[in-house]
Amino acid sequence: MTDLIRIIGVGAVGARVARIVLAAEQSVEVEVDDVRADLVTSLVPSLGARAAAVRQHLGTRHDDDGRARVLVLAQPRPHVALATAALEAGVTVVSVCDDLDDVRDLMALDRVARRNSASLVVGAAMSPGLSGLIARHLAGRVDRLDEIHVAVHGTGGPECAMQHHRALGGTALGWHDRSWMERPAGSGRELAWFPEPLGAKDCYRAEMADPVLLPRAFPEVGRVIARMSATRRDRLTARLPMLTPPHPEGGLGGLRVEARGERNGERVALVAGVAERTAIAAAQVAGVFALAAIQGELPEGLVIPGDAQLPNELLLDRLTAFGLSLREFVGTDAHTSW
Amino acid sequence: MKLLRRALMALSMAGVIAGALRVRGKGGIPPRNGGWRELPVDRSA
Repeated sequence: MTDLIRIIGVGAVGARVARIVLAAEQSVEVEVDDVRADLVTSLVPSLGARAAAVRQHLGTRHDDDGRARVLVLAQPRPHVALATAALEAGVTVVSVCDDLDDVRDLMALDRVARRNSASLVVGAAMSPGLSGLIARHLAGRVDRLDEIHVAVHGTGGPECAMQHHRALGGTALGWHDRSWMERPAGSGRELAWFPEPLGAKDCYRAEMADPVLLPRAFPEVGRVIARMSATRRDRLTARLPMLTPPHPEGGLGGLRVEARGERNGERVALVAGVAERTAIAAAQVAGVFALAAIQGELPEGLVIPGDAQLPNELLLDRLTAFGLSLREFVGTDAHTSW
Repeated sequence: MKLLRRALMALSMAGVIAGALRVRGKGGIPPRNGGWRELPVDRSA
């Protein structure tokens, strides 16, 4: 008995999701589709006998033949139309989308998913996605969690780079003292220290999805702030069209999650993160959720990475088994005369 | 001419103060411990 995972979009993330799920689970078959037929043609032979190409699932209609159990959406935004159609066919959807508007539209599909006994994973990438899983892990190490601060460095494929550009030119949303705070993207500079070899990067507020998703997964948290690293040129040109075409894939990226709260009556700040190519980390997260859906480990309805209902440690353990190196920052005994 | 003298005086005083701070001042000691290590995941969960 095999389970079919259908992957739409075989760019830097989607192609890796296919490889990851095929390598991790022998009972899984994969179908891939993309508007760029040449990419599909070149990818499928390298995936082996359990992979095939399909050409009819790209529009707003998910022509489900009852075979696919999971649909991974890794194509450029928007994902909401295809997700709706798939959910109505009872197919679980894993979306890697990080566009704020698309994420909001996807979150509104909770009822559709529940009505059709399917799961809808929104933001199964690095940020959102891995950020929520790490935040949940850190939340288990404090008595009371108050704040989550997310910082991201780097981009995956070209669509991710364009999203990075859009995010710096939009309006940054923050969950601040249990109310929404809007600030111009590119403001609020903060020096964030990422795991080595990335080190310190200047990060700025941006139109990111974490402040919308994480308060749903962590209702007890009063503040969720997300920032992304940017250069002076990024900020200067953020409100212009992209002046140069994005690279096929960005270099080493990073994620830093800081959880602030109380432990044993003291204020503590716990920091963890990763330094990895963004597309690889995003694909590993999407792959873990797709496989969890196959195993029946996801609840019905809207699933946000980091939700307390999820087997969080198990998902993180599988990510490390895929080769993702999760790091935590341990405190320094800095002695200073200041 | 008076303005130029004042400017030169101000610059020289700034130089003397900066030099004194550079030689006599106490900077912070960089962190000697800590850093990034593997995040322990509860595999029994």
